[in-house]
Amino acid sequence: MKTLLLTIIFCSTQVLSHSKENTNHATHAHSADARLVDGKLEKIDSIRFDRFISDLKGHKVAIVSVKGMVCDFCARGIQKTFNKRDEIKKVDVDLNKGKVLLAFTGSATIDFEEIKKTIQSNGQTAVDMEIINI
Amino acid sequence: MGIKKILFFIFIVIAVNVGARPVSWTQGSTLMAYSNNTKNSIYYHFSPTYEFSLGLEMVEDKVFDNSYAYFRFTRLLNRKNTQNSQRNLYFRSAVSSKQWASYFFGLQGDWETRRLFAGFNVNLIESGDRDYFDQSYQIGIAPYLGEFGDLHTWIMVKTKRNSVTDEWSTFPVIRLFKGDVMLELGYNGETSWDAHFMYRF
Repeated sequence: MKTLLLTIIFCSTQVLSHSKENTNHATHAHSADARLVDGKLEKIDSIRFDRFISDLKGHKVAIVSVKGMVCDFCARGIQKTFNKRDEIKKVDVDLNKGKVLLAFTGSATIDFEEIKKTIQSNGQTAVDMEIINI
Repeated sequence: MGIKKILFFIFIVIAVNVGARPVSWTQGSTLMAYSNNTKNSIYYHFSPTYEFSLGLEMVEDKVFDNSYAYFRFTRLLNRKNTQNSQRNLYFRSAVSSKQWASYFFGLQGDWETRRLFAGFNVNLIESGDRDYFDQSYQIGIAPYLGEFGDLHTWIMVKTKRNSVTDEWSTFPVIRLFKGDVMLELGYNGETSWDAHFMYRF
């Protein structure tokens, strides 16, 4: 049980390190807010989106709305599965907004039905998708 | 504690986290470790699809002072995804390596949002010459809403009873998960520690 307690202490240190990380993100936020004025992007986290696309010039980003994605642990499979695909450069999950962000190479063909199947195989339900050229 | 035990424990803690879901994503694997007043066990399962899993659990049974393996099958019976919640109902079953007359089957259900959790688990366990009924119920609240990749924390209350001891045991539980690992710890003065680790890969 002592070791278990040490584990909790270890996890607590992880929380502290993430708190610092979030502070850094906040200082990065204003430029993202200024650029994202498209009404269709209102439902995504503009700070998170700005951070996500920072190195994606020439790529396409699919913003997928997902139902049932209520916990980090349950969404892990989505990230793992999409990360295996060559045409996808980056994956992010926004639990607060219920969105999955997928960065495709510029030449990739994005098929919503295929994305729906992949998300279904993780146990969640994709209901909508928007594609943005970066 | 020998170096092998320490390495094993580190493996369990870092690689195996407390997970609530008995079925993983399609082609996903899960390794779990349980310890409570009725058993110690290590359980691996593989999910060919997100709707069922097959697994092997090595059990040290404290109720009947016995050790055996369970060949386990879990089936997702029902899932409802909404924008802010998910609800699940599973059928769980196992047959013991000791004898075919030893088995268990039961239901597990949960409902959760990003802030609230409620779950139950009921099992009928047949152990050769006698059987018993085991049930647990759990509710919880997340004190903060973490982002994807953060450490997530749940403060919970669990109550459980089995028909052998015929007493309810209710105690606080903390559930932590980060990345692919989850850890759940509860403590009650009478039934001692209730621990669950899980790692998904």
